[in-house]
Amino acid sequence: MGELILKNINIRYGGEPVVRDFNLEVRNGEMVSLLGPSGAGKTTVLKAVAGLIRPERGEILIDGYSVQDLPPEKRDAVMVFQKPLLFPFMNVMQNVGFGLRMRGEPVREARQRIQEILALTQLGGLEYRKVHELSGGQQQRVSLARALVLKPAILLLDEPLSNLDANLRQQMRELIQEIQAQTRITTLFVTHDQAEALMISHRVSLLLNGRLRQVGKPRELFYRPADPEVARFFGARNFIQGRVKDGWFQSEFGTFQVPQGFTANGDWLTATIRPEDLRVSPDSQFEIQGEIQKINFEGSATRIWVRCRTTEFVVLTSEADFFPGQNVRIHLPPDKIRIFPPDSKEFEKIEEI
Amino acid sequence: MTVKSENSGVDARTRPVPGGWVLVRLMGPALTIVAVLFGGGLTLGLLQSLGHLPAAGAGVLTVKHFVAILGDPDFLHSLLLTLYIAATSTVVAAGISVVMALILIGLAPRNRVVHFIFQIPLTVPHLVIAAAVAFMLSPTGLCSRVVLKLGLISSSADFPLLINDRWGIGIMLAYVWKEIPFITLMILAVLRHTGMELLEVGQTLKAGRWQRLRYIILPTIFPSLAAASLIVFAYTFGAFEVPFLLGQTYPMMLPVWAYKNYSDVDLLARPEGIATGMLIALVVAIAIVLAQGLSQAARRRGIVL
Ligand SMILES: Nc1ncnc2c1ncn2[C@@H]1O[C@H](COP(=O)(O)OP(=O)(O)O)[C@@H](O)[C@H]1O
Ligand SMILES: [Mg+2]
Repeated sequence: MGELILKNINIRYGGEPVVRDFNLEVRNGEMVSLLGPSGAGKTTVLKAVAGLIRPERGEILIDGYSVQDLPPEKRDAVMVFQKPLLFPFMNVMQNVGFGLRMRGEPVREARQRIQEILALTQLGGLEYRKVHELSGGQQQRVSLARALVLKPAILLLDEPLSNLDANLRQQMRELIQEIQAQTRITTLFVTHDQAEALMISHRVSLLLNGRLRQVGKPRELFYRPADPEVARFFGARNFIQGRVKDGWFQSEFGTFQVPQGFTANGDWLTATIRPEDLRVSPDSQFEIQGEIQKINFEGSATRIWVRCRTTEFVVLTSEADFFPGQNVRIHLPPDKIRIFPPDSKEFEKIEEI
Repeated sequence: MTVKSENSGVDARTRPVPGGWVLVRLMGPALTIVAVLFGGGLTLGLLQSLGHLPAAGAGVLTVKHFVAILGDPDFLHSLLLTLYIAATSTVVAAGISVVMALILIGLAPRNRVVHFIFQIPLTVPHLVIAAAVAFMLSPTGLCSRVVLKLGLISSSADFPLLINDRWGIGIMLAYVWKEIPFITLMILAVLRHTGMELLEVGQTLKAGRWQRLRYIILPTIFPSLAAASLIVFAYTFGAFEVPFLLGQTYPMMLPVWAYKNYSDVDLLARPEGIATGMLIALVVAIAIVLAQGLSQAARRRGIVL
């Protein structure tokens, strides 16, 4: 069993609020990622769950029980840190067995559990290695094994992939995913990498500036961001303003149907369209005229900045034969337009970040 | 910040570390001065201890002075006393330092004042400390007068002998007071660098308070604690001024004994004084090599000192 509930968590460092009114629920067997840029407060949240930091306000429940007054060693949650932080004076086996030893598990059972976990984390044969003789990837796996061996109700992973190079990162991500699927261990996975979060987790929670902004399935956050800031975090760059009238969003780049349930009428709203959804063409088949400002060839795609009157659009296209200064036309497919609900943040606000 | 020496040359991101010969050439001038002054002195001392004493007309090298002192009961008494005082003060200072470091890391960084006060003994010379101990603890010293005033003793003769005493208490007090900050700061550096993070790891891996002390803190600080203790031991073994001021007349600590022999009117005692000095130097050298070895090993494993 492993169910984690955070209720209205507030954390300060010396008067400075770092996490504000944070609510999150991680269900049994679920892998939820806590996504956010560096400094957003992700590590702080994990440390609060682990018990290394005491929230100023709020409640943390593990399997329905408040763990508020329990020290870290009494909580059924284990944290894996960003750095491997292995004990340098112990070998691999001793590192992995550390928690079992602290809990006073019988040696024979402990040995067997350690062997199982070493096999699971692909560390078989390295039992007696000194930790400074391990590669970065191996060290990170030992650090993971050291936590898994305790079979905690909640596993807390703090950017376990961020110190690895691209290749290893993918392997390690797949390994974590595999282990999680196999053990069904309830996991809160912290990352600053949106692609990583989208790939690895059942649900993603986005933390910006100490506030939880949206929680949902990866596709929901990506395709239906709650507000322009969330959209921007996931790479949205094209924002247009429009006024809602009788169920239609009217902007200088077209009129689009407003989704059901919008009550706004006469209000100015913001809409966005992802760079890869915008269409661009040198011919006159599209309605909006523009001029290419800049081109970035990115391999599988080309990023083009197109100025249309006072607005600059970013377009991601697979075609590469454009040039700066070229007159082109663009098209905003209506089904790709995301109009933000009236209560979402104003467009002006996102310019600050 | 650890540099894996085997890989660092290959890794383009790290600055290449100058090879051995480059270092020797760069440091050549400085090394030469050290070699001449220090090595020259040692060589000369070694020659004299081996009986090369041109002024006395003796020319043949011999180990008879070493044999003589090793067979001298006075030397053995001095050696035992020196070992006892150096070891005891080192162990006591090390023990107190561990506690101090744990207290300070708990206070830090809130309490700068404590840190500041703590660093004072580091800068005070041993000679001054020895004088202070004499001033405080002699039979007519401050402490004696205070307890006399309080009526705890009836005359200053009742005050326990704490300096120039049989057990070297005054000497050890001076050393302990002086060396605690040094050892403590060495330990603190390690605790700050890796210790605190490892403690958090240990906590989340279900280690209780005492388990963290036993299985994380002690192993983490061990290399630097041992290295610092060895250095302190080497110093207390070979230092002269504190036992000269606070020691008794018999037996003397080795450095004092060596000095007495060396400055004896009898020129023939001189090689024995120097031979004693050589033995002291040998013990000190061994301690320092051991300390270096410990630091190196720790650094290789990623514990930075
Ligand atoms: N021990 C600390 N004391 C004071 N401020 C801290 C401390 N740790 C983190 N912070 C601040 O809290 C904010 C969130 O930090 P953190 O949780 O580490 O962010 P993240 O893990 O998302 O990068 C940052 O602004 C950081 O500077
Ligand atoms: Mg972090």
